[in-house]
Amino acid sequence: MTGPSDVQHDEQPLDPAAALAIIEGERRSATRSAIRQVPVYYYVWGGAWLVGYLVLWASWRESGAPVHIPGVVAVPVFAALIIAGVVVSMVVGIRSNRGMRGQSSFVGMVYGWSWTILGVGAAAIGMALIRNGMPPELAALYFPSAYALVLAALYLAGAMLWGSIDQLVIAVVVAIAGSVSPFFGAPANYLAMALIAGGALLAGGVVASIRMRRLA
Amino acid sequence: MSELDPVIHAAARLRITAALAAIGEGDRIAFPRLQEQLAMTAGNLSTHLRKLEDAGYVEVEKAHRGRSPVTYLALSRRGRRAFESYAEQLRAVLGGEGSPA
Repeated sequence: MTGPSDVQHDEQPLDPAAALAIIEGERRSATRSAIRQVPVYYYVWGGAWLVGYLVLWASWRESGAPVHIPGVVAVPVFAALIIAGVVVSMVVGIRSNRGMRGQSSFVGMVYGWSWTILGVGAAAIGMALIRNGMPPELAALYFPSAYALVLAALYLAGAMLWGSIDQLVIAVVVAIAGSVSPFFGAPANYLAMALIAGGALLAGGVVASIRMRRLA
Repeated sequence: MSELDPVIHAAARLRITAALAAIGEGDRIAFPRLQEQLAMTAGNLSTHLRKLEDAGYVEVEKAHRGRSPVTYLALSRRGRRAFESYAEQLRAVLGGEGSPA
């Protein structure tokens, strides 16, 4: 912390190496400030997908799960985890945008709304299919895969917007998991989504945390 | 080698300029967030921002958020150019050490 009395001191000439170190220090500090919320998204959504889909999987008879969880418990738990994920994402998104405006905050706003638009769209298609006679066994295949593709699409967008290889890798893993898992039927697809998509997101969180620590 | 730009070549203003240069072009940062990031007092930050503004390196935009006024800051095109050539000069002095911008 520098005080007003340091203004005079600040005017003293710097040596070039110190000046370059200041530039590098500020660059790192700005990067850290811009990405410090990234691990939170990964952990919240990785946790929600891992636990949520495991619970749904364990609610099916003949799932082979070590414990059977009744559907009346599993479905609300899953819903609560997803709602918690949405709420945390919104709060974190608003906080990270605080005090910034311009091109990036527009990008962030459109990106944030994209989740809502595609999430609601995927739900609407599912409900329309159910109304048109899709049985629960097929709905159990549709919803996880539809949301896996929504997540993959937005992570691809994130990879493009922020040049993030991490997001690209997670997007490809989740897209493949979402496209292939329905072939194994329900509830095996729940187990696959929990372990592959949830696992990929949590791994992304660990990588993001390590990156943050290196910037410190 | 020509003289290093005296507007930038002072610890506090270099920190401010470097922090603003790290923000994407077309983005602005609010005074309190910049202050928090730099851990400088409001008075000290204002003093140095004034000098950068007088040199035409920083653009100041007064806006309102609800009822309270907020000051948004960004490097001007001229300020960004000055910062880039300043950093280049430093690297030249140090014989090309350091990471590229």
